Amino acid sequence: MSHSHKLVIKRSSMSRPPPPPPTTNKDQQHQNPSLQEINIKLIQSGEKERLKELLRERLLECGWIDEMKTLCRAFTRKKGRNNVTVDDLVHVISPKGRASVPNSVKAELLQRIRAFLASTAD
Amino acid sequence: MSGPNEDNNTQLSSHIFGDLLDSIIVDVASECHRIAKLGLDRNLEEEEEEMRLSAQARARVADPSNSSETNTKYVVDIFGQTHPSVATEIFECMNCGRSIAAGRFAPHLEKCMGKGRKARLKVTRSSTAAQNRYSRGSPVSTYSPYSNSTSTNRLSNGTPSVAGEEYSNGTYEEPWNKT
Repeated sequence: MSHSHKLVIKRSSMSRPPPPPPTTNKDQQHQNPSLQEINIKLIQSGEKERLKELLRERLLECGWIDEMKTLCRAFTRKKGRNNVTVDDLVHVISPKGRASVPNSVKAELLQRIRAFLASTAD
Repeated sequence: MSGPNEDNNTQLSSHIFGDLLDSIIVDVASECHRIAKLGLDRNLEEEEEEMRLSAQARARVADPSNSSETNTKYVVDIFGQTHPSVATEIFECMNCGRSIAAGRFAPHLEKCMGKGRKARLKVTRSSTAAQNRYSRGSPVSTYSPYSNSTSTNRLSNGTPSVAGEEYSNGTYEEPWNKT
């Protein structure tokens, strides 16, 4: 859904739909509108930050973060300190990282997210 | 089966979870990138080595094959007790907060507190100020069992020779704690 800003001047109309919020993330152009709204609610309520911290804490406890750091160090050693970019490291970690999240951690986060969605259901 | 709303919710949740995970992945990658560029992982390797040696020392002591009859390294004191060659009590390093075996404590402190070349590079101006403060006053001596003067010299000018003599055998003993 592209954001075409049409300037329609309707004098007495109160039913004009609100303009979509400005987005800088190109992904959001392909999201359905409700995901965008949910995202906004997540961020504005502070829940997104809390969820992220919870996830980070669980991943730390189970050693996931240390595993990822080890992968990064190994890659850095091979490729050379000065040739490594953040992008490289992201690509190094992403596949293994997404696959190795423990099920209990994933379940806990998903449950919290679903609870949030239920609490904000219109 | 649940209605379409439930499936939508599940899909939504997974998507949100994926977002959070990606965000954390980027954070971790960014941090590792920083560590790599700043060369901080050199120190990390030393610490890993220390932890390994620490664990090794503990394992060697706990190993039942190191019994007092067979191992000639074990000396017997006047009470007939044997002491393991590497002290095994675990302490917490007051500088970095890590758990270190007593027998590895001195070498660890050397690296941690600034006798070693690498550790001294780590030290910033503010922490040398802190160290100088400690060396001038009477040290709350959990880590300077011998004469105060030599240990203060060690802290303030960091010459390797002084430290080497004190801890050449790698063991750390607190004389007033012996029972």
